[in-house]
Amino acid sequence: MTEASATLVDSGPSALGRLMAPVSAGVNDIAGLFRLLGRTLTLISQGKREQGALLEQMYIIGNRSLVFMCITMGFIGAIITFQSAVQSQRLLPDLTMLGATFIKLLVRDMAASLGAMPLATRVGAGIAAEIGSMVVTDQVDALRMCAADPVDYLVVPRFIAATIMGTAVLIIAGAVAILSGMVIANGVFDVNFHTYLNFSMVTLGDVGLGVTKMVAFCAAIAIISAQRGLSTFGGSEGVGTATTRAVVGSSFAIIVLNFFISGLGYFFVPS
Amino acid sequence: MPIVFENIHKAFGDKVILDGVDFTIEDGECFFIVGASGAGKSVMIKHLIGLLRPDQGEIYLDGEEVSRLSEHALYPVRKKCAMVFQNATLFDSMTCAENVALPLRKHTGRSQRESLVAARERLAQVHMEDFADSYPAELGDGMKKRVAIARALTLDPRYVLFDEPTTSLDPVSARRTDAVIRTLADELGVTCVVVSHDLVSIFSIADRIAMLYKGHLRMLGTPTEFQNTSDPIVRQFMRGEAEGPMEV
Repeated sequence: MTEASATLVDSGPSALGRLMAPVSAGVNDIAGLFRLLGRTLTLISQGKREQGALLEQMYIIGNRSLVFMCITMGFIGAIITFQSAVQSQRLLPDLTMLGATFIKLLVRDMAASLGAMPLATRVGAGIAAEIGSMVVTDQVDALRMCAADPVDYLVVPRFIAATIMGTAVLIIAGAVAILSGMVIANGVFDVNFHTYLNFSMVTLGDVGLGVTKMVAFCAAIAIISAQRGLSTFGGSEGVGTATTRAVVGSSFAIIVLNFFISGLGYFFVPS
Repeated sequence: MPIVFENIHKAFGDKVILDGVDFTIEDGECFFIVGASGAGKSVMIKHLIGLLRPDQGEIYLDGEEVSRLSEHALYPVRKKCAMVFQNATLFDSMTCAENVALPLRKHTGRSQRESLVAARERLAQVHMEDFADSYPAELGDGMKKRVAIARALTLDPRYVLFDEPTTSLDPVSARRTDAVIRTLADELGVTCVVVSHDLVSIFSIADRIAMLYKGHLRMLGTPTEFQNTSDPIVRQFMRGEAEGPMEV
């Protein structure tokens, strides 16, 4: 082989190949996510659980997130109520429907979509970091050596716990957002508690849609974070990258899922 | 031949780790794989139990080609071929006894209670019975390594792979670990494959040594042959010299 031809052979992937590489990686990434989701759901349907693992994860994901989520959603409820009142007063001075509209919006969408974002940082980062550090310290390989399926052992309990407890936490945090909004409405705009706590606009469909979003978002956070954790490569830097990718991926998934579920809700559960 | 590696190639992305490595390991011997950091020693043994798949080449264990087996089909392989990882890799959320019991429960389907009784017996063999109910975070590195060895031995494997068993241990713990490995080979006939660059271990307990360098098998022989070699790279490694032709 001449020097010139050797240079040609060693010139690496073509420009098109380099251009398509991120697309190909993205497709593989999404395929990997769906494979993991499928495997997780299959294992859940088989019904075998590690004793104690699920309860432990429910405690870690649920109880330990509750205070953070309640404080975060409390502030969010207060901010939205304040801004809504300020803006609506520019149009008309009547704030009697402030609570009713805010509660409907919260039940139908914001308790799920706004709450899921901080939940992704708390729960998603935790799942990715824990599984990722197990990968880089060979603990996942050690599980495989013990004939323990890492998906069954690590992903399934976290998926179930995040879906159940995440939804419960979002519902509680949503209630806190209503209460904090009520306090602001009363303290700043003199809207009395009874007027504010008006659930007349909330339908069963709104509740169903809101809970559906919560379940979908929490399941997405768990599966994306677990997949990021399992695909960790390298040392502590790899764990950091996996954690960042888990939060970014979860946040992105929440927004995309919200778009599609809201779209379906528009047709099947009109507001 | 119980363990045969044939023409093993492995790359991670553009980085070639193994570039056509062949060797065999005899039954009951204490076989060391040595080389500089990043030479592919751990990668090599992880291929044997399906934790990694070769890009090319075959691996035979007791005459069975294992490199293409499914995860489930690898369970019997992992039952007879245990591994002690470099970082001990005990599960933090489990006690020492639960760690040792896990392979018993999963591989043999025994109940948790039966497995824990057997696990305590295993821990006694490595003098860790008093720490059966302790969590890994409460133990020192040497103690964790002994629990990891107990976990690896819990299914009475015919082969045990040790990934840098003496790294991060104090000299006394390191020599005790060497003694455990030698005892396994001598008294129980277990084939021990040890990845290490601990020269004291290599020259005190190895039957044969394979040295990997730049993705290839640089030398295969006994400790005496390694000590008397004229290969400047092998000689530099075995003497632990900073200056020489070896590229790290």
